[in-house]
Order: sequence, then structure tokens, then C-alpha cells
Amino acid sequence: MLKFMLATSAIALALGAPARADFWSDAGAKYQGVTIRGVSESTPPSNYVKDVLAPQFTEKTGIVVEFETTSWDQMFDKAIKDMEANSGIYDFVYIEQDIIYSYLARDFLVDITQTLKDNPDLQAPDFKFEEFTTFIDNFRGENGNIFGVPMEAFIKVYLYRKDLFEDPAHIEAFKAKYGYDLAPATTFQQWRDNAEYFANLSQDDELWGTTVQASSGHPAAFYEFFESIAPTYGVYDWGIDGTTYAASVDKGGRMNSPEAKEALKFWVGLLEFAPPEATASTWDEVASTFAAGRAAQGWVYGENAAWIATNPEKSTVVGKVGVALPPMVEGVMEAAEKGEGYIGYYDGGAFGIPHSSKNKEAAVLWLEFIGQASVQADWAVAGSRVVHQATYDDPKVQEVNAKADGYFDLMRDKGYLFKGAPEYPFHAQVREVVAPFIYEAIVGTMTPEDALDAAAAAADAELIKLGYAKE
Amino acid sequence: MRNSTTGWLLIAPTLFILFITGFVPFIYVLVVSFFDWNTFAQNPEPTFTGADNFRELVFDKAFLKSIWLTLKFTAFVLISQLVIGLFLARMLLRNVPLKGLFRTIHTLPLMIAPIAVGATWRLLTVPGLGPIPHYLKSWFGIDYILSRFPDQAFATVVIMDIWHWTPLVTLTLMAGLSNLPEEPLEQARIDGASEWRIFWDITLAFLKPVLLTTIFIRLMDALRTVDEVWMLTGGGPGAETRFIGLHIWRVVFPKTDYGYGSAMSLITLYLTIVMCWLLYVAMTGMKENKA
Repeated sequence: MLKFMLATSAIALALGAPARADFWSDAGAKYQGVTIRGVSESTPPSNYVKDVLAPQFTEKTGIVVEFETTSWDQMFDKAIKDMEANSGIYDFVYIEQDIIYSYLARDFLVDITQTLKDNPDLQAPDFKFEEFTTFIDNFRGENGNIFGVPMEAFIKVYLYRKDLFEDPAHIEAFKAKYGYDLAPATTFQQWRDNAEYFANLSQDDELWGTTVQASSGHPAAFYEFFESIAPTYGVYDWGIDGTTYAASVDKGGRMNSPEAKEALKFWVGLLEFAPPEATASTWDEVASTFAAGRAAQGWVYGENAAWIATNPEKSTVVGKVGVALPPMVEGVMEAAEKGEGYIGYYDGGAFGIPHSSKNKEAAVLWLEFIGQASVQADWAVAGSRVVHQATYDDPKVQEVNAKADGYFDLMRDKGYLFKGAPEYPFHAQVREVVAPFIYEAIVGTMTPEDALDAAAAAADAELIKLGYAKE
Repeated sequence: MRNSTTGWLLIAPTLFILFITGFVPFIYVLVVSFFDWNTFAQNPEPTFTGADNFRELVFDKAFLKSIWLTLKFTAFVLISQLVIGLFLARMLLRNVPLKGLFRTIHTLPLMIAPIAVGATWRLLTVPGLGPIPHYLKSWFGIDYILSRFPDQAFATVVIMDIWHWTPLVTLTLMAGLSNLPEEPLEQARIDGASEWRIFWDITLAFLKPVLLTTIFIRLMDALRTVDEVWMLTGGGPGAETRFIGLHIWRVVFPKTDYGYGSAMSLITLYLTIVMCWLLYVAMTGMKENKA
């Protein structure tokens, strides 16, 4: 009888007790019906967040995510205005690696490490800072705490058309014209020759020699030159001295150094062999150009590598894509190996929470959700981005890696040779005064030499005005 | 007295809204223009610098260039829109076949938001995708690349604005033309005046108030053009279509140079007022001289 009573009581207790849910529904219970709003650039990784991760999070927690994906300019414009005005429209914002220093300088962002320490009930079991790649270090404040949860990271690589470079007819014709073997470029001369050869194949075809991210009215051109081309000529950190903040050679900078001028001359010279849309191309158009089969080689943001190489609905060059490191002048690789330089651009971003957010706790849960190990592999396949070390070895990622000519392996093994933007709090301010001269060089209204002389002078003047450099 | 009080009470809400949305921001911009204030500077607080921002503007080549480009753009679009608008207005008041259909199609661009107009023209003109560069190249061998050739970019921006806003001019002038008194025109015809003479001396003279209003509206609109151009060319190639509105936007928002940007805004406002006033004096002065 006693046994029967005990058993009955146990069953009654079990039935009466609330169902044991997972962490997300438990943690989200307090915030049921809350709507958190975010803004980011419309890119493959962001679109995956909007289309896949946000609905999953809402289903598990009951917290609604309104995620706006817009143009790069609009994203920063909206996020910065919101944070400056303290209006609290956004609960999470995209923080590109290069803007984090400006945001930290203005104290825009919530300290996520501290928030989790202060609210242990918000700590998700599957979210650990130590699982991220070293890219997360870009989002640490002076106290070493994390202010942004990485959501994308990729390197800007040299993509080339394997089918063209391995075609015996092209190999023979190229050798006959240039006297050496056709191959993916390892020197700038080779890049130029490859570009010239493919651009001049036929007047009627739709194939050009190279992509160039040379929009003559958009900062994308500034970024390609200063973050991808100039470093391969040994000009780092935009040519601005990191201690004195001088840009011109006269003051100790390198923005208008002979190496920088040579780099700009080479890059602008490629426009002769680039498709007509090159001068209207940002990073998106460069990827589209390559995916449309309109260029034989080019610098392409890695976030596009996977879809270009594997998605036949969007790309005409599936199975034809080769990936390699960009060419560089002598000494740059050695400097990069020693950590004294870098060979190209390591880009990426995180989601951070503005101080102005009215739903910080719900936003923290959201950032943990997207930072879990379990969501990383599918996201990497969709957007060629990796922020967790373990993602590289996931079978799904390895499958895409094989089709994308080892892009993920290259990023894992050689990623340390690349670097993001310099840690300047005056990022947009200097870019805005320098970029117009890069546009002038693209259009041809200034020579590359004059453009960089003027750019360096303008950067010096701006840095003095901002109070960072001395007269 | 009671009527006057009621009148003031009725317009009070409007005056209040105008005060909040017009006067207060104007005063704020005026105050900020006397400060050096960039929130990403080493000292992010506003620092009073007197008239330094205004002094600097006088020597700012980029600012002066954008003013010049804006004036050039305004002159081109204003004259073109008036000539084409007047021609179309006269045509549409006559009994021409398919007049109704043409008037509807002609008016459609007015209903499109400027940003959408810019996006549409961008799709039409982007190399490798747009039909305009494709056909210009295949039919006439013309390389039409807005992002590479400044003249092409400027001309396209002008044509886009004419396409977008001429219907407004046409409609306004049609309203004006249909309200002209018949008697003076008939008298002139009886007296044997030529059609050209009638148009120049009578029609235009009666149309002057409508013309003046239309010119003012379009002048102010053209001087502050931003969204269409931003979408189509981004101000490029280089700075060849960076009109003053776009230039101020870049200084104030991406560059966050609030003090300097405010000074630019004020100078631009001053220029706009001066131009409108000169135009008004010129047109009303002509009338007085004739009288």
C-alpha cells in the first residue's frame, strides 16, 4: 500500500511539475513577446541570420528578432545616428572589425563579458568565448572584455578561373606571347600579363582580365587599395604612422611613399583590362562579376567564395574556381610571418549591443544564440565565414572546402598572414578625406603620384584638425 | 477682434509645428556652425571657434566645386524643364490624338520617389547589366560608362532630373494656360499679330505669376537634390556629380564634422535665398519696367 501511495505521489508530482525545457525557452520565458531590432549590411552571412537563425531563435525563446539588412553606408549611418542620439531603436548592431575602435572610443557598446558575469542566469551552456578563433580579440576593450560576438570573418583572396588557366590552348597561346607559362599570379607583372591576355582574347566575348573594386564614388575603392593592394607593396595601416599619426613621407608616414605610388599605379593600370563595371564596383559587384564569368582573376572577399564556387543558381563558374594567396613584393611575406606586416585584408564583424538598447538582456541571449558552436557549420556553408576554430573541421564545411579549392583550409592555415583595418578611432574621418583622391586616380583626372601626394596632405591636415597629430 | 483671436487660435497648431520643426533646428544649426565639433576627434566636445568654419569654407576647393556643379546642374535642368514643360503644356491643351494617354504616361514619373528614380536609372545605366550602355555600344560603338566619364555622368543626372520633374512643370503651366483670359488674345489676332508675337507679349506676360512660382519651386528643389544622384552616381566619378546636398551629407554623416557641415548648410541656405530674391526682383522688375 505504501509502495502504491509513493508511486502515485511520484506520478502526480511528475505530471504536476512544469515540463523541463531547454535553456533557451527557460531563459527566454522572461522576455516572451519582446521584440529586439538589429541592423546589418546585406551580405550572405547576414542574410542567413535573417532567414534562418532569427526564426529559430524566436521559435525557441519567444523573442522576436526584427533584423534589417541594408546597404553598407546605410547600415553605419543608421547605427551611428541611433547610438549618438541614444534613441534606442536598435538592440544589436553590426560592428565591422574596422569600426570597433571608433565605437569603443565613444563608449557606444555594452560590455558583454561583464553583462554575463552580472547575470549568470543569462549564460547559455553552449556559448563559450574560448571556442572562437582569435578574430574575437578584435572585439576586446582595453580591459580585455568582449564587446561584440563575432558573426563573420573571412580573408580577401585571389580567385582565378581554373578552367581558363588549365586550358591547353590558353597555356600555349600565353607562352607564345609572353615567353613563360600561364599560371595564377604570384607577381604583379604576372597579374598584369594574365589580365592583358584574357582581356584581349576577343573583342566580342564577355571575358575580361581581372576584377578591380574601383568604384569611383564609393569608399570600396579606398578599401581595396589601402587594405589589399598597398600592404602587398609593403605599405601597411593605410600608410599612417601608428605613433605620430603622420601620413605624408615628409612627416614620417608612408601614404605617398614610392611603394604606395607604385601600388596605385599598378592597380589603376589594371582598369584597362577590367570589365566596364569595374569603376562602379564595390565588393558585391566584384563578386557578381566573377560569378558571372566576366573576369579571369581578381581579389574577392572570402564571404563570397563558397557561393561562387558551389551555387549553380547564382554562379556560372561552379567547379571552375581556384583560390590562392595574392601576389606581393619581396619581403612582405617574411614581414607577415614575423608579425611585422601582412599580405592582405582579414575582414569580418560582430554583433554588439548599444548602451541605448532597451532590451539588453534579450539581446545578450540572441548574441549567445548566434555564437553557439551548433549553428556555425551551416552558417559557414551559406556565407563562407568562420568564427569558431572547430568549424573548419566540420564535414559540411570540408565538403564545401573541397569544391571551393580549399578556401577554408587557406583561411585556417594562412589567415594569420592577413590583418583587418588599423586600430584608428578616426577611421571614417580619414577615409572621407583620402578617398576622393583615389577616385580621381581611377577616373584619370589625377596621376596616381599626384593623387597620393594630395591624399597624404589631406590626411595630415585632417589628423591635425582632429587633434591626433601635431602640426 | 474676436475673429482675429479665432484666426490665431486656428493657426496656432501649425505655427507651433513650424516652430518646432523649422525654427528650432535652424537655430541649432546656426549655433553649431560656430563650433568645431567632430564626435570622433580626440576632443569629442564642441569647441567654440567663432567664424572659423565660414572662413575655411571660402578656401575649400571641394565645397566651391560642389557649389559650382550645383549651379550648373540647376541652370541646365531649370531651363530645359521650362522649355519642354511649356511646349508640352501648349500641346496638351490642343486637340491632338491620344492626348489623354500621353498625359497619363507623362505624369507617371512624378509619382515615383526620388530614391526609386535613382535606382531605376542606375539599373538602366550600369555597365554589364543596363540596356542603355549595351545598346549604345552595340548600335553606335559608344562606351557609356557613368563611373568613368564625368561628362556622361553629369549629362545623365541632368536628363534623369528632367525626366522626373518636367511633368510637374507641364501640369502647372497647363493650369496657368487654361486660365488665361480669351479677350486679349482674340483682340491681338483681330489686330493681325503673329502667333509668336501673341505668345511672347501676351501669353507669357499673363503666365508670369505661374512661371515665377514654378521656377521658385524647381529652383529650390534642384539646389537641394540629393537622393536621386546619390543612388545613381554616388557623387562620382570622383566628385563630378557631388552636388552641394550630397557634399554636406558626406561631411555631416560619414565624416561626422558637424560644425563645418552646419556652416555649409547655412551658406547654401543663404545662396538659395539670394538666388530666389534676385530672380524675383528680375522678373517683377521687368514687369514694372514694361508698365
